[in-house]
Amino acid sequence: MEDPLGVATVATASPVWEREELLNGCQAVAQGVRLADVDVIAAYPIRPYTEVMDALSKIIADGQLDAEYIIADSEHSQFEIVKHASSVGARAFGGSSGTGWMFGFEALVVAATDRLPTLFIVGNRALDDPGAFGVEHNDAMALRDMGWLLCWAATAQEALEHVLIGYRIAEDKRVLMPMALAMDGAFLTHSQHMLKVPAKEAVSRFLPAYDLGDRRLHPDNPVSIAPQVNEDWVMELRRQNWEAARRAKGVIAEAYEEFNTIFGERYPSPYFDEFMTDDAETVLLGLGAVCMPARTAVRRLREQGKKVGYINLRWFRPFPTQELRASLGRFKSVGVIDRNFAHGSPDCGGIVFQDVRSCLYPLAKRPAMVDFIGGLGGRDLSIADCIRMYDITAKAARDGAPEECVTWIGLRE
Amino acid sequence: MIKRVEVNYRGIFQKMLGKYIGSDIVQIATRMGKVAFSNGRYSDAPERNGIPCKYFAFVSPDLSEEELEAECGAKLDIDEADVSIVVDDTMVKGVEPWGWHGVRPINEKVREKGCLLVVSRHPHDHLLQFIGKKPYSYRLATLEGGASLAGLWVYKDDLTRERVLGALAAVDPGIIAIEAVEAYLLDKTKDARRAQAAREAYEATLRRTRIVTPEEGIDWPHEVPILPKWHEFEETGVVVRSVPRGFQLGPRGQARNDAFKRGTTKTHRPVVRFDLCIKCTLCWLDCPDECFDPTDDGLFDVDYEVCVGCHKCAAVCPIPECIVMVDELKFTDDKSPWEAYTKSPQAYIEWAELKKGKERIAYPHVTGQGVNITEGTTVPPKVAAV
Ligand code: SF4
Ligand code: SF4
Repeated sequence: MEDPLGVATVATASPVWEREELLNGCQAVAQGVRLADVDVIAAYPIRPYTEVMDALSKIIADGQLDAEYIIADSEHSQFEIVKHASSVGARAFGGSSGTGWMFGFEALVVAATDRLPTLFIVGNRALDDPGAFGVEHNDAMALRDMGWLLCWAATAQEALEHVLIGYRIAEDKRVLMPMALAMDGAFLTHSQHMLKVPAKEAVSRFLPAYDLGDRRLHPDNPVSIAPQVNEDWVMELRRQNWEAARRAKGVIAEAYEEFNTIFGERYPSPYFDEFMTDDAETVLLGLGAVCMPARTAVRRLREQGKKVGYINLRWFRPFPTQELRASLGRFKSVGVIDRNFAHGSPDCGGIVFQDVRSCLYPLAKRPAMVDFIGGLGGRDLSIADCIRMYDITAKAARDGAPEECVTWIGLRE
Repeated sequence: MIKRVEVNYRGIFQKMLGKYIGSDIVQIATRMGKVAFSNGRYSDAPERNGIPCKYFAFVSPDLSEEELEAECGAKLDIDEADVSIVVDDTMVKGVEPWGWHGVRPINEKVREKGCLLVVSRHPHDHLLQFIGKKPYSYRLATLEGGASLAGLWVYKDDLTRERVLGALAAVDPGIIAIEAVEAYLLDKTKDARRAQAAREAYEATLRRTRIVTPEEGIDWPHEVPILPKWHEFEETGVVVRSVPRGFQLGPRGQARNDAFKRGTTKTHRPVVRFDLCIKCTLCWLDCPDECFDPTDDGLFDVDYEVCVGCHKCAAVCPIPECIVMVDELKFTDDKSPWEAYTKSPQAYIEWAELKKGKERIAYPHVTGQGVNITEGTTVPPKVAAV
């Protein structure tokens, strides 16, 4: 409901930032959608995503965004609406969480193979049963082999900005891939911070209008999307998808450069942020909001003279293979924080660990590698947990190999 | 340095109040040049009517936003609070937000020298007969007022919010200063009345704050459950055994879930005049929590341990003055009212009328207008003296 004490803003005078406002992660995403001037929004509630659709409905009702807002009968229909809207040239937005996300998965798969550059928000949530609203990354991770762009925001500010960055990359003619922006349920979606809201004018300089060109489905431009092709086409088109993902690497770099030029040096590097890694021997690598306690743990351990650093991996697809290889090869040991679990995988670790370890395999000198499964189902990952993970990872460097490849953090055992 | 504030509020009925107070603290602290943020206890949602919930605000004069977030935002609950605000005083009886959590004392998180700030019309000593002992001294402040109950997504704009901000400035100016509260309210609303309400609450709270020593309070009667380790769960622990079925006539004759009683959900409890009851069964049928236990004389006992105070029984009972909702803080135990009545009808009726007093509280609306209070009548006993 309307806050009777008025809108929570603080005026700031800057050509690129319009105002400071108290927003939670969901509301921040909604502001990003408003600024991206999205044409079609399809919605279906599931926590923690629900507050994104709540915030958007209010923004539209308040006359701040002119968009079609369609409440679907399920996630599957919701995602289909977004996909189809995108095919007729509308900038379209959707989102979900957890099992709702999985329910609509068929539509997600074809959004990628149809090369439709929509943007979805994934408020990460455990794949219940048993019922759990808390964060776990398996929902968004399920996209990893599907031809999507997939990245994680670490703060609400980043979430807002990545709606804009995401559309720009996805809609680029060299890319044309759907984009999933993941954010940790609760810790990010439902925490309120004073955020900077970009000015519309600055956004329009950064994000060009969506233009599908002659691929647009329209009565004046009759096209057929996704015909039945069987063995004759599929391999070539898969190869095309891969090529698009390869080209996306260059487009991603351009997009961040342009973003930094307009909004100030927000992102030193697109794919991952390195924190205190220059002379580090041991680093942890993780995705999303865990970077706050992890970096704080680094600062504390540095005070004790420990050579540790943190790598906040932002982009998971396309996976920054060369960049990570170059970076992680410098360290004696690397610990991966997996807020997910890859059942039955090699060593029964997490998804990020599998990819990072395989990425480092060709290196002549490989760091010792440890995996941590933690924060599942919304369990917290505290500074103390991070310090423990650093200790285990540093010990793996001293011993040359870890005692256990995979350690569960915060498990009652 | 970090200051942690928690707002204990009633789910749905005070959802916006709790969130707004958290948001205001962040904005006021930000105007004072501090770093602050706010969140709710995520596991409280989706909220159910009246369930004890929490909203948090964290303020630091010296930490970076990231450090503050790392310390406070990466955790689901806080370890200690500088100020625990309670916007419905009936929560001093304990809070049980969900299953496996247990009934916890309202001052569980209040740190040494910290403050428990309760919106209440009751004196400190009355509140302390429900509050658990702490091993150290802390402060108890009361802000005169009733529970500002509204409904789903609505908010009762009755100055409770502004007054709580003023009171908070009184009990811990290190979080927000009263001048900053006033300036914020004036800037935001251009309404001097709001700033004045905060200032008056500030002055009053300075006078209504007292130290609570380790001797004061009660020995906490509720156990806090210890959650099992992964190998202690039954295999396929996702399948939970149901409460064994059971029924017999009489008090607590129905099998109920001991792991989550939900009785701390209520602000008001139904007081039943068994002598007026026409045994129509409506209360028993309509109570959403099946709190009524049929007795062998055709009456219906109430199990207050599981009653959530929803007002439904009082609304459906066809007999005036037979079921009346009464301030939960007027009661010190959950004993069977039917047993008391059967033992001595006269004494029970006198006791019930004493508890009922003159105020009749109407159901909390979804309109945001909160509860309505009207004057009730006293119906003479319908039982022959025994
Ligand atoms: S107030 Fe009445 S209807 Fe509601 S839970 Fe309690 S006994 Fe049941
Ligand atoms: S609704 Fe009232 S009259 Fe009917 S059984 Fe219950 S207490 Fe008696």
